[in-house]
Amino acid sequence: MTDGLRNLQGNAACALGAIAAGCRFYAGYPITPSSEIAEWMAAELPRVEGVFIQMEDEIASMAAVVGASLGGMKAMTATSGPGFSLKQENLGYAIMVEAPCVVVDVMRGGPSTGMPTRPSQGDLMQARWGTHGDHPIVVLAPHTVAEIYTETIRAFALAERLRLPVVLLYDETLGHLVETVATEPPPPEAVVERRWAEVPREAYRPYAAGEDLIPAMARPGDGYRAHTTGLTHDERGFPTQEPAQVAALLDRLLGKLDRHRPLIERVETVEAADADVLIVAVGITARAARAAVRELRRTGVKAGLFRPVTLWPFPEGRFRRQAESARAILVPEMNAGQLVLEIERLAPDGVRVRGLPRYDGEPVAPDAIVAAARELVG
Amino acid sequence: MRIQEPNRAGSGSSPTETVVSVLMVGVGGQGILMVSKVLATLCQAAGLEVKQSEVHGMAKRGGAVFSHVRFGAKVHSPLIPEGEADVLLALEWAEGLRWLHYLRPEKGVFISDVRRIVPPFACRDRGRGVAPRYARSTPAEIIGRLGTGYALDATGIARDLGNERAANTVLLGVLSTALDFPEEAWLEVITRLVPPKTVDVNRAAFLAGRAWVENAVLPEPAPEPAPPAADPLLGRIVNRLEITREWCKGCDICVKFCPERCLALDAEQIVVPTDPEACTGCRLCEWLCPDFAIRLHKELPAEAAPAGADVGADAVGAAR
Amino acid sequence: MNEIALTSADRFDIREYLRLEMFPHFLCPGCGHGLALRALLWAVHELGIDKDRLAVVSGIGCAGRLSAYVDANTFHVTHGRPLAFATGLKLARPDLTVIVITGDGDGLAIGGNHLIHACRRNLDLTCLLLNNEVYGMTGGQVSPTTSAERYTTTTPAGNREPTFDACKLAEGAGASFVGREATLQVPTLKNLLREAIAHKGFSFVEVISDCTEIFGRKNALGNSPEMVLRQKAGMRPDSWGNRVDRPFRPNPFPTGVFVRKELPEYRELYDAMTAAARRD
Ligand SMILES: Cc1ncc(C[n+]2csc(CCOP(=O)(O)OP(=O)(O)O)c2C)c(N)n1
Ligand code: SF4
Ligand code: SF4
Ligand code: SF4
Ligand SMILES: [Mg+2]
Repeated sequence: MTDGLRNLQGNAACALGAIAAGCRFYAGYPITPSSEIAEWMAAELPRVEGVFIQMEDEIASMAAVVGASLGGMKAMTATSGPGFSLKQENLGYAIMVEAPCVVVDVMRGGPSTGMPTRPSQGDLMQARWGTHGDHPIVVLAPHTVAEIYTETIRAFALAERLRLPVVLLYDETLGHLVETVATEPPPPEAVVERRWAEVPREAYRPYAAGEDLIPAMARPGDGYRAHTTGLTHDERGFPTQEPAQVAALLDRLLGKLDRHRPLIERVETVEAADADVLIVAVGITARAARAAVRELRRTGVKAGLFRPVTLWPFPEGRFRRQAESARAILVPEMNAGQLVLEIERLAPDGVRVRGLPRYDGEPVAPDAIVAAARELVG
Repeated sequence: MRIQEPNRAGSGSSPTETVVSVLMVGVGGQGILMVSKVLATLCQAAGLEVKQSEVHGMAKRGGAVFSHVRFGAKVHSPLIPEGEADVLLALEWAEGLRWLHYLRPEKGVFISDVRRIVPPFACRDRGRGVAPRYARSTPAEIIGRLGTGYALDATGIARDLGNERAANTVLLGVLSTALDFPEEAWLEVITRLVPPKTVDVNRAAFLAGRAWVENAVLPEPAPEPAPPAADPLLGRIVNRLEITREWCKGCDICVKFCPERCLALDAEQIVVPTDPEACTGCRLCEWLCPDFAIRLHKELPAEAAPAGADVGADAVGAAR
Repeated sequence: MNEIALTSADRFDIREYLRLEMFPHFLCPGCGHGLALRALLWAVHELGIDKDRLAVVSGIGCAGRLSAYVDANTFHVTHGRPLAFATGLKLARPDLTVIVITGDGDGLAIGGNHLIHACRRNLDLTCLLLNNEVYGMTGGQVSPTTSAERYTTTTPAGNREPTFDACKLAEGAGASFVGREATLQVPTLKNLLREAIAHKGFSFVEVISDCTEIFGRKNALGNSPEMVLRQKAGMRPDSWGNRVDRPFRPNPFPTGVFVRKELPEYRELYDAMTAAARRD
């Protein structure tokens, strides 16, 4: 093994990726199957002058993360389904006040306490729509331990660049899977630092943004003495209910995703160009789908894989182009059918879409995907 | 000063049938709690239900203190509503004036010491030797407006008996003539509740208060103490109130708390100074305005002190 | 005329600490929260805290709205969460003075758990809990501190639930500084807050405030000045003890400083205990 190559479990790779990205604050509350992230952060953060704190619950953890973020630190928290539900309140606050931060959800079987030690992909929609009100969010869904490392680094970069919470979503299997990872320091361009306001105080308007829709942040202590509120606010940061100002704020918040789509979107495709049957899968299920594509191709079925690494905002354009030449689309996922809803919405007319749900705590097996694909185009 | 035959509290009927309300007011340190405790104990001993509630004012000696005592066969609320006090017992003159509107119109009995204690807030920043401008209505003016009233120099009477602090018991003696409890019962409770060393003087003070009612005469107004030599500059400090009209919400707090009574609400329910001369600069209005609409400026005429001079710091420091 | 300024009260013009463009503020006439804000800013003034280095974090409610009026780094966060937020902020920025403003609903109901743990941790924060016995912002519902038998919109027959003693709660949870004062006593409250802010570690101050417009009206507690005087009928300084008027009134609601002790501050302890990790 060369230097920088390590055998790591997914949760450890996440923690090390965060540190490599410059994360210096972690607040969390233990929950299976995410707890190892907290344990690694507790050990690693002091080495880099960072701070770890175990809070009294997930609500507090999320609040503390936003507080640390607005104070100027790159900050992260990690949890699983039940805790993710509790974090939604202050996740919404982070979105409203545009506090960069990273939230990891290591998915387990649900609903409710469900199956703490079994994998699931049941939170795909919670990750998108979990908090109330119309809101932007970025959700990344890695599928290997190595990718957990690099996508965690990317999550911090996007969070800082977009002033937005970024959710890292993977399941219990990946969290506990051990693979060999290159934990090299990321190239400089992969790490994005906070853009602090530098204009004179009189000229500063906390929520006035330029072309990129991302306002520069006021660092407490730099003399701006800005106000931050979860109430709908005007450019000065003070509460408003004036329709034009409300619309302007929401247009800008929601517009961030479209404006920065090329930066946000990441897709992997496997043999998708000429595929008759396009398999759309994320995370752990995409690993099974990749094996299925290989098997289908070997037996003469033109199958391909479309794997959104950026799950939300869903890479619509890329998907539509890929789907145009397909005859059918198969959506295997470890839930009762969440991603398939989005695919049905986006699929070109005349292309058959079929879901392949599984929610018994077992992963979707390659064989099942192969069989379903054959059936679709057979 | 005695105006007329006292009404028995409760309009002639026995106090056991109706609720009798005695409001006791004064300033911290005067022994108001002792007085109210004597009355409450007496009532309890007589088998009546008693409710008592009191407020410490600005939490320090000299701050306003009041105690509501209500008794009767059945008492529901411990608080006396405005205009329903049968007796207003004031251990300090200005406090008495402040609570006059609590007295039952026509029927209520007003009992007050004529002594005035200028509260620390009202004198806090006044220069040494500046004449007090506090509660200027005279006893004659006030009693003239009331049905029944006694204004006496209880402090003086107590001083003559050897302990100024027994003034509260002198007033208790006056109070006893307005209520239907036998003299022995009063004396018994007083003896039980006062510190043992002061039993004799308190008994004497009580009896002196009762005797005073029998042959009341108009007391000479207590002479103003001769002002000590004033710092000439401090005497010239002008208190200027800056009022931000747009911020005032007319809550009336400053008006009611101003010890000099020199603020009012205008027709638009916004505060205005009515008597800027009377303002002592105590800042109570500034501090208690929830809307930050009042700021007090202390100023010296330009010719009196060059800007920034450390004028009279010692004198003011002492008065702080 | 030359202005003379010899005392702290002469020198303290609250407007220097306010965002003037936000005034008049939105509180109702006579609302006690304004008085609490004056005492707080006066304490800040006396301590000479630079506005640029001051962070005020507040939750949701009328009390929570106060942060917006302070000319400092201010954060109006979610309902009940200001202490949790402030914990993150202070850990990230030990150089800031972080003050939390919360209400009886915000800090004792929805945020009660965070209060307990903030007390226990002893991070260097100051928490002002403005207790007006009611949910003012939402129109006067019962709160954990509503007195027995008081009427609120959700206790039409009078409150039956026992009342929280916030200071005892804080003390029990291990806070290293605990005190209570009423808004009526602005200068005393200022002194208490000054001590609380200067205290190293977590300090908790309960401020007895008045909701004049909603709670006061509903319970016929009189107009604003009467409420300021009267709602405090059950209070007096702890140092007066329980002697004066026993047996007629115990001392149910003392004011003053109840706890003042030196305990290791959270961040200092964290740094000391992780020093070994930092070295290797
Ligand atoms: C999660 C959530 N639940 C409920 C509310 C509604 N709400 C707003 S303020 C408030 C109560 C505030 O009461 P308190 O903290 O006592 O403050 P006050 O208004 O009395 O100063 C409630 C319940 C909310 N904003 N968020
Ligand atoms: S106007 Fe204000 S400062 Fe002047 S005496 Fe009255 S309360 Fe005091
Ligand atoms: S206290 Fe303030 S708001 Fe209330 S009446 Fe006086 S100046 Fe106006
Ligand atoms: S509702 Fe009550 S607490 Fe809220 S501003 Fe009005 S008086 Fe104050
Ligand atoms: Mg409240």
